[in-house]
Amino acid sequence: MKAFAVALLVVVSACGQGHAIFNIDVLSFMQGTGKDTIPYFIPPGPGSASASTVQSITLPPGFGSSVVDSVRITIGSANLVNTGGSGTMGFQLFFAADSAGTYTAPVALNVPNTAVNGVQTVAVSISGDLSGLVDSLFRQDSVFMRVATTGTNTGLTNVTGTSILTALVIRVVLQDKIF
Amino acid sequence: MRTGVIVPAFLALALVVPRPVHAQFSLDARRIGMAGVSLGRDGSARRYNPAYRAVKNRSGCGPGQPKVTIPIPLGLITFFQDHPPTHWGSDPMFNHDDLAFNPVELMNLVLNPPLFYELKRAPTPTNDIEFTIGKNQLIMNLGQSRVLIPEQKFGLGMNGRLLDLGYGVGGVHFGVMGFMNYEIEFALDTALRRVLRDTVPVQPDSTYRILTDAVVQTGFMPTVSFAQRLTHGTGAVGADSTESADDGLYIGGAVHYYLGATYARGVGPAGFTVGNPIFGAAPGVLLDARAQTSNKPFGKGVGGDVGVAWISGPFEVGFGINDLGAELTWSDTKIQRIQYDAAGDSISVSTTANHVETKTKLPVSYLANAAIRMGTGTTVGGDVFNAGRHTVIHVGVEQRWSLFALRGGVARDQRKKMQFGFGAGVRLGAFGLDVGVFTHSSTLSETRAMTLATSISVY
Repeated sequence: MKAFAVALLVVVSACGQGHAIFNIDVLSFMQGTGKDTIPYFIPPGPGSASASTVQSITLPPGFGSSVVDSVRITIGSANLVNTGGSGTMGFQLFFAADSAGTYTAPVALNVPNTAVNGVQTVAVSISGDLSGLVDSLFRQDSVFMRVATTGTNTGLTNVTGTSILTALVIRVVLQDKIF
Repeated sequence: MRTGVIVPAFLALALVVPRPVHAQFSLDARRIGMAGVSLGRDGSARRYNPAYRAVKNRSGCGPGQPKVTIPIPLGLITFFQDHPPTHWGSDPMFNHDDLAFNPVELMNLVLNPPLFYELKRAPTPTNDIEFTIGKNQLIMNLGQSRVLIPEQKFGLGMNGRLLDLGYGVGGVHFGVMGFMNYEIEFALDTALRRVLRDTVPVQPDSTYRILTDAVVQTGFMPTVSFAQRLTHGTGAVGADSTESADDGLYIGGAVHYYLGATYARGVGPAGFTVGNPIFGAAPGVLLDARAQTSNKPFGKGVGGDVGVAWISGPFEVGFGINDLGAELTWSDTKIQRIQYDAAGDSISVSTTANHVETKTKLPVSYLANAAIRMGTGTTVGGDVFNAGRHTVIHVGVEQRWSLFALRGGVARDQRKKMQFGFGAGVRLGAFGLDVGVFTHSSTLSETRAMTLATSISVY
């Protein structure tokens, strides 16, 4: 994998001055593994609850000296498939150099809460600019992302359901400098 | 990491050296103004056609040949103004640590040295390269750089004689020539070409290959040549300084003893293979190349040139064949095998043989030239040159009026592109000032550049 990634890297360097842009379809790596689905269960009462899934993203090596211009989620969406209860549900994205680090990293993107009520499916848009928060991570060979759903219960019965990612593309723009 | 770059470097070279590039480089603004053709019996003719050693230089008035041509390096002045040597350490042109560093721009500098003034520069690719990566998706959009991907098998080659020193007695000439030969050939398979050039997505369960065969060798060759005038034309009988004084048929031959200084050769396929889905498993890297390098100088060999020239009044024609049978034997060579080690995800280099004998060949090259002086101050000429690769053709004309001259020409270069030249000159006594403008495709660009050449001739 490393050699192949280096091949991409050299292609970048061979094509003159410019930007190297990587559109990474993160969801495609999660589908089929169950990581694109996050069940949630929030009992009645104050406070919030969350559940999450972690995905590693392989990046071309050798960009350690490059300048990350921007890291954006250009396409992102999820369905909140609520099976009972009423409350609010939102998403948070965390990035770190390893899996464990995603549990202590600050929130990189916070998708505002969306109201859910009873049996319904609610589409949620996920987008945002991560630039400045995670730049250094995207100069490494790999980065770990944790997607967490957070919610509150405003009713008297359990809020249950599943959040399903339906699209997640991260666009990384680098001023390549590989040597 | 360094060796890890070797494999993909094959792929990169496909971009860096996209098509046969050959600089029709001359220091003579007169020749440049005629798109590269030489109307005179200058060193170029003698290097590639030994019969011309028996032909006298034209002298006196008319299209006389200068003793010395001195280029006026206006391009260097501009270059050093833009890139002062004291700042090269931080100059984005040379400093790969600079974010503005552009390897294509540096390669263009090598392919097209800035001796003369560039009236119109070929644009250097500066664009964004975009990769779309998914578990079962890989799309490479090279943007403007797609034009650098060749449409078919391509190569880069040069077989040149860099110097010609010597002394002649009668028809015999003793001398030393320098030679430099490189032949680099790439062949992308159709699938890889479409991925890189047409932005076609990489297909699952597919293999993409590039085949490379590259050899570089240089050295010098002590030479003994003999040229003889076989016949005297009717116009030459009793003629001394008339235009017909050189009429006749000339033949020549030369024997070279090649002393190669160094050589290197690399042969092998490279590429990658992907599974289904594309990133379901690590894509496999394909590489099984062989590299040969000389441990010691003085690869030895013998070869020869033959040539013929015929002059009749204002018309002359010549034909020379060079490096016949030129095969160099290198007595001490190291042969290495370069493979991709899938287990370690690394490149392994192993020596399969050392201190062994290997052989290389120099390509046979041909030069055909013709010129006619029209009697009204007009001289028209052309030449066809092939050094084992694509044929280069030059056709040019010079019109003289007393002290002044106008020139023009067209050429077909190694990239099979038409190039154009025009120029003018003035001669004052023993000195002449000449200006030539020519288009060229000596850079990594599809767009022609235009260069202004200036030189002083001493007659």
